[in-house]
Amino acid sequence: MTDFNNSHKEPNYLEYRGKYKGILGWITSTDHKRIGLLYFYSMMFFFLAGVVMGLLMKYELISPGEQIMGAQTYNGLFTLHGLTMIFLFVIPGVAAVFGNFFLPILIGAKDVSFPRLNLMSWYLYIIGAIVVLISQFIGDGPPDTGWTFYAPYSLKTNTNVVAAVTGAFILGFSSILTGLNFIVTMHRLRAPGMGWLRMPLFGWALYGTGWIQLLATPVVGITFLMVIAERLLGIGFFDPAIGGDPILYQHLFWIYSHPAVYIMILPAMGAITEIIPTFARKTIFGYTAIVISSMAIAFVGYFVWGHHMFTSGMSSTSRWVFSLLTFLVAIPSAIKVFNWTATLYKSSINLQTPFYWAIAFVFVFMIGGFSGLVLGSLATDIHVHDTAFVVAHFHYIVFGGTGFAFFGALHYWFPKMFAKVYNFKVANIGLIVFFIGFNMLYFPMFYLGLMGMPRRYYDYLPMFHSANILSTVGSWIMATGLLIIIINLIRARKGSGKEIDDPWDGKTLEWTIPSPPIVENFEQIPEVKHGPYEY
Amino acid sequence: MKRFIPISLITFLIPLMMQGQTIKATQDIKSPELEIGIVEHLDEYIPDDLMLIDTTGQAVNLKQLIDKPTVLMWVYYRCPGICSPLMTSVAEVIGKTDLILGKDFQVITISFDAREGSDLAIRKRENYLNLIGKPVDESGWMFYTADSANIARGTEATGFRFKKAGNDFMHSAALIMISPDGKITRYLQGTYFLPFEFKMALIETSQGKSGPTIYKVLQFCYTYDPAGQQYVLNVTKVAGSLILIIALIVFLILVLKPRKKTTTN
Repeated sequence: MTDFNNSHKEPNYLEYRGKYKGILGWITSTDHKRIGLLYFYSMMFFFLAGVVMGLLMKYELISPGEQIMGAQTYNGLFTLHGLTMIFLFVIPGVAAVFGNFFLPILIGAKDVSFPRLNLMSWYLYIIGAIVVLISQFIGDGPPDTGWTFYAPYSLKTNTNVVAAVTGAFILGFSSILTGLNFIVTMHRLRAPGMGWLRMPLFGWALYGTGWIQLLATPVVGITFLMVIAERLLGIGFFDPAIGGDPILYQHLFWIYSHPAVYIMILPAMGAITEIIPTFARKTIFGYTAIVISSMAIAFVGYFVWGHHMFTSGMSSTSRWVFSLLTFLVAIPSAIKVFNWTATLYKSSINLQTPFYWAIAFVFVFMIGGFSGLVLGSLATDIHVHDTAFVVAHFHYIVFGGTGFAFFGALHYWFPKMFAKVYNFKVANIGLIVFFIGFNMLYFPMFYLGLMGMPRRYYDYLPMFHSANILSTVGSWIMATGLLIIIINLIRARKGSGKEIDDPWDGKTLEWTIPSPPIVENFEQIPEVKHGPYEY
Repeated sequence: MKRFIPISLITFLIPLMMQGQTIKATQDIKSPELEIGIVEHLDEYIPDDLMLIDTTGQAVNLKQLIDKPTVLMWVYYRCPGICSPLMTSVAEVIGKTDLILGKDFQVITISFDAREGSDLAIRKRENYLNLIGKPVDESGWMFYTADSANIARGTEATGFRFKKAGNDFMHSAALIMISPDGKITRYLQGTYFLPFEFKMALIETSQGKSGPTIYKVLQFCYTYDPAGQQYVLNVTKVAGSLILIIALIVFLILVLKPRKKTTTN
């Protein structure tokens, strides 16, 4: 892509010694790559905590009746699982880790536009996480509202909602600042010659995401402030008993939280779009269509929030309009899937672990997407609303989509980040086990939901028993797969194998520099002369 | 500056608090079977042929009097109860508001006791005009009487329900806001009015035809809460607009402001 060659004279970002040593050197560093890794390690910590909570819940559901916890504990656990996974893992997700690490490199910049703000975003993330965790231990017990904090229950429960909501509010700021930073970086710091339509598609995905973060997150921030004000000062925003409107809460919450699904999934799609051409050894099919579909998802995604409220009291006109818009937003997602598949057509596929992850992503994402259409259509939604079907659907999208892309991106960029390669065979075995476990865990929940098993209960009727056993066993298999994957990566990271610059022969800018990248990424800012995927 | 912060904090918080205030039994007010009180006839026009008697004893047509935003109130001048506090309150709020009586709006007080005559209206007029704490165009606040047929039609058209009790009347107190074309746009109930409420109701009544732009901003930011019967800050509307405006500014700066020349090293 460029006609220059970096030498290894400058220290790479892992070796670099600044003013401080050790952990201080990391948590005071404004290097986007170090911040990306700070996010990575903290997010993995929260993710694994969330996995443990999920496993405990699945274990509780292995049989009808109480197994290891009662109703209140289960309520607290699914709330914390949701809060952790949504706010601490998938929302920052691919963008905070790989966006931070690779966006500046992909566009030929030395760093993001506001490196200090970037570090501050991470601090806000950690402070928010700590406040959420504190909410579990102080006051009158952990929140039991679910991650949605629906009013009026969130206003009436004695559990510690205020602290949890405050934590989520702080996390929102972290998200806004990251989004703003990325937007400005792409506008201001693209390398000479890199026009908008020469920017790698991961960049475009982050651009769309940035605008959602900037526009939607303040809405939920204000909503959370209103909940806090209502709980502490008795101002009647949402509680009908004091003149409020609980439906208003749902509108405000979903005006953010639906676009938030796209905050999670757009960067994930972006990462997949980077992986596929590298392993297809072929230019991406329909670059412009993918750009437009990213922006269309970001835009249309704003107008579909009502589909979360089909059963909460809306006019029938609003219902069918929201339903129609929901179907419309499926189109740009389908365009992406079409383009990924079309890229593979007549290509010379290099079958490697990241590619397998990308294909697994497409598979589970499509199941998630199609089941979303079942929920987006009015008649079927009423049948499966608030059942295990919904839980299966959003786990296929959020975990199957973002999670698979996250691990795909991790396997793709791992050699660039650490200059090490992992054991491909073990990685592939890990993926297969994980994939089987994932589908075994979540697919039965579609069936359970269709049969009428409600979500968010620690107990169920005996008729749901066998599918629940399958699901719980699936959770164990998935956890085993996860363990294999993580241990394999840790071993590779710690191993003393030969350093490697680029095992995939990638064409985007990050593969033109040595691994691990030097502190300022490029010894000389590259001049870009053609598109990102010229094979 | 030290004082500014708490004042601005309070200014922001008070309307927020108002949002939460409850409720003065709206069902009762709106019930058509109500004998005494106000049945709101919002968006209805006052009749064309209502005749009143002014302080000189001349008959005048109410509709023709209304050529600007108008505050109409029903009282009776001998009233031992809430009429005097109501009129005192209006005099005070006229003194406090920055809208100009006679120019931006006018006030029409009508007696609903057909036995009362112009002499009483004149005395009340002098009395209450004196109570306004600043020089005003006195023709802006007019006091009228009427015969029983016109009273019956006028009170019915404006939803003002009262009942005779011995020599006096049982009734409630409200200001009825009427637009320059004769449409009822708002009821402010009670006997005490904040200058802000009074002004907002008049701005609304003027239908955006007059007044500086700031009035439009006020109208956008505040909505009338019929349950709480007050103007309240529309938090979600204001916040949503701010978010969009700020995002637009960020976008325009990024697009319009040229990039700095990047150094190659």
